[in-house]
Amino acid sequence: MTTVESPRTAADTATNRQVVSSELLAEEPHGSSRIDATDVTCWFGKRKVLERCSLSMEPGKVTALIGPSGCGKSTFLRSLNRMHELVPVAAIAGTIELDGVDIYSEEMSPTEVRSRIGMVFQKPNPFPAMSIADNVLAGLGLSGMSHEDPKALVEQCLRRAGLWAEVSDRLDEGGMSLSGGQQQRLCIARALAVHPDVLLMDEPCSALDPISTRVIEQTIRELCEEITIVIVTHNMQQAQRVSDTCAFFLVESIGDPGRIVEAGPTAQVFENPSDPRTYDYVTGQFG
Amino acid sequence: MALTTPDLQALEEQVPRDIARTVTRGDRIFRTLCASAAAVSLFIIGGTALFLAIKAVPALQKAGLVSFFTTSVWNPTVGDFGVLGLLIGTIIIATVSLIVAVPLAIGLALFINEYSPARIRRILTSSVDLLAAMPSIIFGMWGFFALQAPLVGVAAWLNLHLSAIPFFRLSEADAPLLRSSFIVGTVVALMIVPIITSVSRDVMAQCPRSQCEAALALGGSRWGMIKEVLLPFGKAGITGAVLLGFGRALGETIAVALIIAFTVQANPYVLEQGGGSIASLIAIKFPEAQDLEISALIAAGLALFSMTLFVNLGARAIVRRTQIAA
Ligand SMILES: Nc1ncnc2c1ncn2[C@@H]1O[C@H](COP(=O)(O)OP(=O)(O)OP(=O)(O)O)[C@@H](O)[C@H]1O
Ligand SMILES: [Mg+2]
Repeated sequence: MTTVESPRTAADTATNRQVVSSELLAEEPHGSSRIDATDVTCWFGKRKVLERCSLSMEPGKVTALIGPSGCGKSTFLRSLNRMHELVPVAAIAGTIELDGVDIYSEEMSPTEVRSRIGMVFQKPNPFPAMSIADNVLAGLGLSGMSHEDPKALVEQCLRRAGLWAEVSDRLDEGGMSLSGGQQQRLCIARALAVHPDVLLMDEPCSALDPISTRVIEQTIRELCEEITIVIVTHNMQQAQRVSDTCAFFLVESIGDPGRIVEAGPTAQVFENPSDPRTYDYVTGQFG
Repeated sequence: MALTTPDLQALEEQVPRDIARTVTRGDRIFRTLCASAAAVSLFIIGGTALFLAIKAVPALQKAGLVSFFTTSVWNPTVGDFGVLGLLIGTIIIATVSLIVAVPLAIGLALFINEYSPARIRRILTSSVDLLAAMPSIIFGMWGFFALQAPLVGVAAWLNLHLSAIPFFRLSEADAPLLRSSFIVGTVVALMIVPIITSVSRDVMAQCPRSQCEAALALGGSRWGMIKEVLLPFGKAGITGAVLLGFGRALGETIAVALIIAFTVQANPYVLEQGGGSIASLIAIKFPEAQDLEISALIAAGLALFSMTLFVNLGARAIVRRTQIAA
């Protein structure tokens, strides 16, 4: 490969405070969006951890990112909503387009990117000092938005996250009083409250029991009709159950950057992979 | 199969049983050492209080316990002493210094942690720590020679534009503005900024990364994250840091003695020449004091000691309460 990619500094451009009109936050979510990543390369300092990854995440579909530990799935996911640049030494090359607009360009501020592309983390992280209801509404306060009927928004988001029935009578209790699985659904509700077009989930079920996992998977299937979802998972069954498209990341030998080996419809990646390494991984014969 | 009737004895209400606590020899020795250290520090506090109290008795008897705390005079020749004005002066100076120092310190702490690039962060962190270790006489001289002139300008400006606020008024239009409580308070503020900065910076740096990332991932700006996550997280610790600074400001001696135009009367005109504090009284009067005046100075020291103790106890109570609320 002869072309040399130059790292672009992912500088925080001035954080414009958005004033989102209440129509945007009305009951019906607006149609979902697509993300097109092209030749994405990521560095931490001098170390290249991801090289020329291209992947399209279709509107209204669930895309699963799979691959062994350390191959750059989280890094790729975090580059999709500009969380990657929060690491001081991080750099990135390539383009990531949200509905055709480069999210690293002047046309979008990081805060705008992040409120349109939400994120759920591996470890549930509700705000400990806030009640359940305030946790759901936290994103509004953080990004300077307001909503005319906060109560209704809380209910709507908790319902969509599949948590309403369990907490409807204790909305004023602290967010930490919930179980791990409930906390994770609270985090999903919190992410939904700012009406993202895309939701990124980094191993959202890895700390949860099978039943909570099922509930969240069900939530994902329901949400994907309105929101584009990208999920990182180590669980092959989960990838098959929830995703429409699947991308397999791999570090070929130690020290190499991670690359996308194969991407395509989930059924094809699992049943009829075109690359033998994918076959080995999805059938559990890896290493 | 026949069920046996339940044994009534077994169904009796259970009570917690004894748990054997075996203590190893190492533990016992270590515990004794720790306990003696605790005893020594209690003894020092108690001993100091007792010493001050005993030595203060003659002056308090001569001046009268009540009038010592309710009048503002210092007349060793007739044995008339009263520190009300100086107690008020102490609080005025400490309050001025907090008003100047707290926004500066928290802003600096946030800048270091959240906004500054890594290299500048290291430089700032070590200079703050260096400043915290700087002897106060250095600040005092710098304040006396270098800061008075610009601060007089600030005082004149405050008086001109904000005299709607009572604190910024003057007793007469051309009152001198040098050597005022305002100037002293500002110099003391510079002395307590480092400690407040460094404690609140440490506290906010403890905030879990996952919390900050959660806030940013919701589309929050840096400021939004600071307001919704960092400050609530650091509330108790920052309160503690501020009160620590307040305690230091109450006791600051040299800088105050050097700069202020000392009077025993309270001077409500903060911008105007003249004022005082207990600590500066002691520093100024002690070298030439004899017998009864020494006893009176010790009594004044006792008053400062109690005030500082109460501030610290109050600080603790507030910190504890905010911790429970969080
Ligand atoms: N903050 C960071 N600083 C430096 N290197 C990092 C940082 N975060 C991740 N890396 C490196 O980047 C590479 C990819 O990490 P990443 O977290 O994306 O892997 P992953 O595929 O998500 O792994 P896992 O399945 O274990 O979560 C790893 O080699 C890791 O050591
Ligand atoms: Mg990961």
